[in-house]
Amino acid sequence: MNPEFQRNLWLELTPRRLILMTALLALAFLAAGLATNRDTAVLVPVAATAEWLYYAIVVVWGTRNAALAVVGEIRDRTWDMQLLSSIEPLAMTWAKLFGSTIYNWFGGALCLVVLLGETAVHQDVATALIDLVYYIAVGVIAQAAAFLASLIAVRRRQSHSRLDTFLYQAAGLAAGLAVYSVWQAADPANFHIAHPADTDTVLWWGAKLDARGFLLVSLALFAAWILTGCYRQMRLELQMQNGTLVWLGFLLFIGLYVSGFDAWLTDNGAMARLGAVSLRLGLAATTYAALTYVMVFLEPKDRVHYRWLGSQIAASRLGAAWNGLEAWMMAYLAAALCAVLLLVWLPGFEARVTDQPALIAAALGFVTRDVSIFVFMRTLPGRRRGDLAALGVLFALYVLAPAIANGLGLTAILTIFYPQDATPLWIAPLIAWAEGLAAATFAISRIALVKPAVS
Amino acid sequence: MIDVADLVYEYPTARALNGVSLHVLPQTITALVGPNGAGKTTLRRCLAALDAPYAGHVLIDGLDTATRPREIHARLGYLPDFYGLYDELSVRRCLTYAARAHGIPDALANAAAEKAAGQVGLSDRLETPAGQLSRGLRQRLAIGQTIVHAPRVLLLDEPAAGLDPQARRDLSTLLLALKDAGMTLVVSSHILAELEDYCSEMIIIEAGRIVGGKAVKVRDVERPRYIIEIATARTDLREFLAARAGLDVVEADGHHALFTFTRNAGARAKLIRDLVAAGFEVSTFGESTKALEETYFAQVGQS
Repeated sequence: MNPEFQRNLWLELTPRRLILMTALLALAFLAAGLATNRDTAVLVPVAATAEWLYYAIVVVWGTRNAALAVVGEIRDRTWDMQLLSSIEPLAMTWAKLFGSTIYNWFGGALCLVVLLGETAVHQDVATALIDLVYYIAVGVIAQAAAFLASLIAVRRRQSHSRLDTFLYQAAGLAAGLAVYSVWQAADPANFHIAHPADTDTVLWWGAKLDARGFLLVSLALFAAWILTGCYRQMRLELQMQNGTLVWLGFLLFIGLYVSGFDAWLTDNGAMARLGAVSLRLGLAATTYAALTYVMVFLEPKDRVHYRWLGSQIAASRLGAAWNGLEAWMMAYLAAALCAVLLLVWLPGFEARVTDQPALIAAALGFVTRDVSIFVFMRTLPGRRRGDLAALGVLFALYVLAPAIANGLGLTAILTIFYPQDATPLWIAPLIAWAEGLAAATFAISRIALVKPAVS
Repeated sequence: MIDVADLVYEYPTARALNGVSLHVLPQTITALVGPNGAGKTTLRRCLAALDAPYAGHVLIDGLDTATRPREIHARLGYLPDFYGLYDELSVRRCLTYAARAHGIPDALANAAAEKAAGQVGLSDRLETPAGQLSRGLRQRLAIGQTIVHAPRVLLLDEPAAGLDPQARRDLSTLLLALKDAGMTLVVSSHILAELEDYCSEMIIIEAGRIVGGKAVKVRDVERPRYIIEIATARTDLREFLAARAGLDVVEADGHHALFTFTRNAGARAKLIRDLVAAGFEVSTFGESTKALEETYFAQVGQS
């Protein structure tokens, strides 16, 4: 057996804890059964209790344990010993993820027996099996997301407060909530996600697909990507190097996945005049830009690593430099590529749309400015708070300053804060790129010129 | 066994290691010492393939830490200054887990755990939870976890912290036995006297550099350092000693001398006889027990 998993079994599944969980759940089910009106089926409220207990034990409590799987080891100073073991990253990943939550899964399994038993009795076994897949998926995805968030944070810093741990848990809870919402929406009785005209189907890349099946496959794919992310972060923790191929593969996947939903935008007034190709490129570019922001916030933005990247490029070791690119850099390049393709496509094939190219060029300039602000703030003294400071600057640029400008009636200057129509058209991209290049120059010169002192 | 070339390690605001190169011979015990903030911990973490350097190479048993960190981890034992134990697990389970995590097969793990427990004097507490051990016993358990897989290289930081005098003596005996069994050890401590018992080499690190550029040989089991003191000063003491076959003077003045000489008792007796016969009023003759300390203070601050 995987030694790390076995260690978790030793710690988590002691006879006393197993008896305690079983007894408490049995009491909860008994109480739910006794509280039921004698005229209704007893199993229904018991199953409802089991469902909410499942979410509480596996999703809420489980995400906390998953978030603590590595952070707790660091806090207890046992992580170095594990780093120095010969356990491979894949084995360490699954042993940590499922070992730290094995007690939650034990409690969850007891809940599922009751919950799915009721489904099998009152509906059918097939429905119970589909529900089983969903319940396992929501637990795994939520816990894996919390685990991934904690691993990303471990790369950024070594100390983790209770609030930090809660934030990692919150990432898992958000993922769990997303899965729950999507699953509820896929129910034919609901119509949130499915195309309004045809409630049990989804339009994707022009194809009409069964909503529940599409979402099941989507859940499986996203769960696989989250687990892949955990594995790759664990590799980094264990001092192994990751190439760029997997992240590029994810970018390709997410770009194709999101751009398939272009049909959703055809009802949008501003977007309705664009063709499918433009919409799909726009969706991909927007997704990559969003990923750029997420990753530039999450990644360490280590000045030493950036200096190393610069030295590799200067020495023409481009392969090493390419493998050393951070995820946000590749997402940025993907966003830029899609934006450039749009800029080429629109004038050639959708010449009637005259304002969009300027806005797209301006948007890319502002993305450049914003990521440069993140990098720059991280190089300042007190850099641990750099990301929050960068968020503060962006809040000022996108919310506070425009609000003041609007209040003073200076709407003409909004183009210096975010993409905005302007006359002549080239003004907006010119301003955006001037800001972007200035911010990038500040950030790069700060990295290149401020050398570390010899201790 | 350990080869470091031009190692540079940078933190965002400070360069902790500035072109460190060193070579540690197999089957030796080397002291890694230096002032606070000199870069010892960073160097140890680079040696343990826990941190990747900015530039330079670290080879452990011929393996590059940059490309084969996990293979190095399997061959390494590392006891940091601050460590944790799984308090709810018994000593046996702590050691068994450490053995299995380092690749020892399931069938052999228990035997390895019992052997390690015996080496650190915990055989009678195998079923005691780690959380119930005293500080000294926890230190022993931590050392046991570090050696349970018989690593090729052992990096220890303050291994004697919290140990009582008897346990310190036992630790010295254990480290020498591990060296004799083929391990290469690098040990850090701020208490140089602790290291005197078992270290034969010393690496002094100061301001991110190796003082003197290499490891210094401070103790030779076959040729220890001796100190001699004479009651009445003689200017020819150094000259007299230097003329003896097999004797190397380290330092000398009119009243005392420090030199290396054979451990052979007959040779030492003859040397004392020769000194007395030559009119030297020998008041003290003995093995120097402060070789590390003397070398350290002679070197630190000189660079």
